Amino acid sequence: MTVPQPISLSRALIVEDNEPGQRRLLGLMETLVGEGLAITVAGSVEEAKAAARARVFDVGLVDIGLPDGNGVDLIAWLRTWHPGIACLVITAWGDGDTVLAALRAGAIGYLLKDRDDAELSLALQNIQRGGAPIDPFVARRILTVLPGAAPAPKTETLAGEALSEREHQILDLVAHGHNNRQIAELTGLSRFTIEDYTKRIYRKLAVGSRAAAVFEAQARGLLR
Amino acid sequence: MPRASLAAWLLLLVSGCVFAAPAPTPALTLRSAEAAPSDWNATAPPVTGWVPVTLPEDWSHRWPRHDGVVWYRLTWQQANADRPIGLLINQVTLADAVYVNGSLIHRDPSLVEPLSRSWVKPQYFVVDAPTLRVGTNTLLVRVSGFAHYQPGLGVVSVGAPAAVYTQYHAGWLIRYQLRLYNQAFFLAMGVVFLVLWLFRPRDTLYGWFAASTLLIGAWDWNNVAPSTWPFASTDAFQSWNMVFYVAGTVALAVFLLRFCGKRWPRIEAALWAYTGAVALCAAFAPHLLGVWRFQLAPIDIALYFAVPVAFIGYALRKRQPEMLILALCLALPLLAIVHDVLRFFEVIRDRAYIASITAPFTLIGMSVVLAHRFAAAMRQVEDFNYQLRARVDSATARLSETLGREHRLALANAQIGARLDLVRDLHDGFGGSLVSAIATLEHGPAGVNRDAHAVDTLKSLRDDLHLVINATTHAVSGGLAEPLESLRHRWSERLDAAGIASDWRLVGLDRLQLPPGQSLDVLRFVQEALTNVLKHSGATQVHVDVQCAGATLEVEIRDDGRGFDPSSHPAGAGLASLASRARRLNAKLVVDAAPGCGACLRMDVPLM
Repeated sequence: MTVPQPISLSRALIVEDNEPGQRRLLGLMETLVGEGLAITVAGSVEEAKAAARARVFDVGLVDIGLPDGNGVDLIAWLRTWHPGIACLVITAWGDGDTVLAALRAGAIGYLLKDRDDAELSLALQNIQRGGAPIDPFVARRILTVLPGAAPAPKTETLAGEALSEREHQILDLVAHGHNNRQIAELTGLSRFTIEDYTKRIYRKLAVGSRAAAVFEAQARGLLR
Repeated sequence: MPRASLAAWLLLLVSGCVFAAPAPTPALTLRSAEAAPSDWNATAPPVTGWVPVTLPEDWSHRWPRHDGVVWYRLTWQQANADRPIGLLINQVTLADAVYVNGSLIHRDPSLVEPLSRSWVKPQYFVVDAPTLRVGTNTLLVRVSGFAHYQPGLGVVSVGAPAAVYTQYHAGWLIRYQLRLYNQAFFLAMGVVFLVLWLFRPRDTLYGWFAASTLLIGAWDWNNVAPSTWPFASTDAFQSWNMVFYVAGTVALAVFLLRFCGKRWPRIEAALWAYTGAVALCAAFAPHLLGVWRFQLAPIDIALYFAVPVAFIGYALRKRQPEMLILALCLALPLLAIVHDVLRFFEVIRDRAYIASITAPFTLIGMSVVLAHRFAAAMRQVEDFNYQLRARVDSATARLSETLGREHRLALANAQIGARLDLVRDLHDGFGGSLVSAIATLEHGPAGVNRDAHAVDTLKSLRDDLHLVINATTHAVSGGLAEPLESLRHRWSERLDAAGIASDWRLVGLDRLQLPPGQSLDVLRFVQEALTNVLKHSGATQVHVDVQCAGATLEVEIRDDGRGFDPSSHPAGAGLASLASRARRLNAKLVVDAAPGCGACLRMDVPLM
C-alpha cells in the first residue's frame, strides 16, 4: 500500500481573473498554510506562464475561464514544461466535462467554486495530505470514458489503461453519492487507500491522454 | 270476380281461335315433275330432253357436271278458277324464274353469275284468273345453279291461299327470319366481347370468344344472303363461307382450350395451318373448293364435332359448374348438327338446316358463363380492394400513431432541450453571479458590509439553483436516483464537516421516473429538511430515507437533535415551506417531534 504523498501548498500560483475569487482563494490558503506562504496571483494565461518561468511553485490553482485563454490548456502547458507543479482546476457548478478535460491535461484534482468556504478548505486539506477528492458527477464521467474491467462498453474509450475491478467498484460507489468515509465502511478499505485509488484513476486519465498526445505530436512531426 | 272474368276471357279466346280457323281445304303437294337441262341464257324451255323426276330433286345426281339452267314442269288440275290459289315453291337452288301457264309471275334479279341466292327462303305467289285456268295448269320453274352446290327444286304446294301461306310463313320464319335475327345476335355479341378484349388484351379468352362468334356469324350469313355480295361469284361466296366455317370452328376450339386453361401449340398450329390453306384456296382458286366440297366436308364436320365432344368429356371429368354449363350449351347444338349433317348428305330431305337456330341458345349460355367469370373476377377485385383498403387504413392508423408518438417524443425532447438551455443560462449567468456575490460578501475588501444574513440567503439561493440544475439535467437520463445521489454526496460532506453523521437509504429509485417539477420538489424537501437539521437541531445523527414502495414514494428525515413541539412551534418559515412542498406533491407533511426527543419529518408521495 502506497503511503500518500503530501503536497505542499506553500509556494502557490493562483490563476484567477476575478478579484473576489482571488481574495477568497488567498484567504483560504492563508488560513490553511499560515506561516511561509508565498502566493503569486496571475490574472491571465500569459501572466501565469511568465510567473511559472520566473519562479518555482509547488501547486497551481487554475481557473477555467481566463481572459486570454483556457485554463485546461494552461494546465497542459504547465504539465509539460513545469511538471513539478501540482495543478488543480477551479471550476464552477459541477461541470463534469471541464473537470475531466483538466484531469486528462494532468490536473491532480479540482475545486468547485460554488461550494462553501468550509468545503473548499476541506478539499484543499485533503489534497495537502495527498488525497484526491472526487464527486459523483466526475465519477460518472470517468466511468463513461475509461475502459472498464468487465461490463463497461469498449466503444468511446480512450487508449489508456483499463480500470481495475476495485477502481471500478470505487467509482461506482462515488457515482452513487457515497463519500469516502461511507465507501471505507462499505469496502473495508481505509480512507487513504480509497484516495490512493482515486489518484491512480486520475493518473490513468492523464496517461491515456498523454499517450494520445504523444501519438498526435509524432503524427504532426513535432517529435522525432 | 276478377278470376271469373279472366276465365270468361280465356274461354272466349280459345273459342275465338277455334272458330276463326275454319278447316281449310288441304293444300296439294306436288312431287312429280319433268325436268330438262338447258344453257345459262335459254329464254324458253327446250322442246326435247324432258325426264320425269320426283321432287325434291338435286339435279347433280342426274347431270353431275351440268352448270346452268334446268327447267322443271309440273301440272295440276283445277276444278274451277273462280277464286285465286296460293302457290308455294318450297326451295329453289339457287336462282329461278317462275311461269304459270306460260305467264311469268316471278324472276330473280340475277339469273346468271353472280347468281341471286333464292334458296334462302321459300317463294309464295297468288295466282288468279285469267292466268289460272280450269282444268290442267302448268307450272314452269327455270332454275339456275351449279352442280357443286346441290342445285335443284324442292316441293311445290298448291291450294287455298290461306293454307299455302301458312306453310310458307312457317318455312320463311324458320329458314330465314330467325337466321336474320341470329345475324344481329352474333354480331352484337361478338362486338361486345371484341371490345371487352380490346380494352383488356390480356384476357385472351374474350378475344377467342369474340373471334369464334363473329366468324361463325359470318358463316351463317350464307343462310340469309340474297346475293353473293360482297363476293364476285358463287364460287368465291361458297369458298369464303367455308373459310369462315373452318376458322370459326378453330377459334371455338382455341376458346375452349383457353377456357380449360390449356394451350396445345402443335394441334393449334395444325388447325390454323388447315384454316390458312383453305383461305389461300378461297383467295386464289375458289372453284377448287367447290369441286372438293364433298371431299372436305367430313374433315370440317369431324372438326365441328370433335371440338365440343372433347370439351364435354373434359367437363364431365372435371365437374366444375362453369364447365358443365358450357358443356350443356355445346351439347344442345350437337343434336342439331347431327340433323344438319344428315340433311347435307340428303339422308333426310325436304327439311331446313336447324343448327343456326340453336346457335343463339349456345351463345347465350356461353355468354352467361363468361359473364359469370367476369363477375367472379370483379368480385375478387372488389374483395381485394376491400382488403386493401382495410390494410391501408390499418397501416395509416399505425403510421399516424407512430408519427404521433414520435411527435410527442420530439416535443418532449424539445422541451427538455429548452429546459437544458435555460438551465445552462442560469448556470453560466445567474450561478456565476451568485458565487461571485457570495465571494464578494465574504471576502470583499474591508469596506464591504459583511452581512451574514445576506450571505446565508445567497447561499440558499445557490443551493436551490444547484437542485434546479441537477433535477433538470438528470431529467434527461431520467430517475430521481442521480440527483439524490449528488445531494447525498454534497450533504454527507457538509454534515460530516459539522460533526453530524448521516445515514442514507435510497431504495428502489433507479427505475423511478418523475416529472421534472416533482423531482425538484422532492429534492427541495430533502435539502430544506437537512438545512434545518444542520442549522437548528444540534443533532449528531441524521437518517435520510427515500424509498419507492409500490405506488408511493416515502420520504423521511429523522434526527436525534433537541427536537421541538410541533403544536407550539413558532411555525418557522422552514416548516411552512416544507408543508407547502408536500402539498404540491399531493402528500401531507407528518411532523413527529417533541422537545428533547429529536424530530422526524415524513411525507408519502402518491405516484401517478
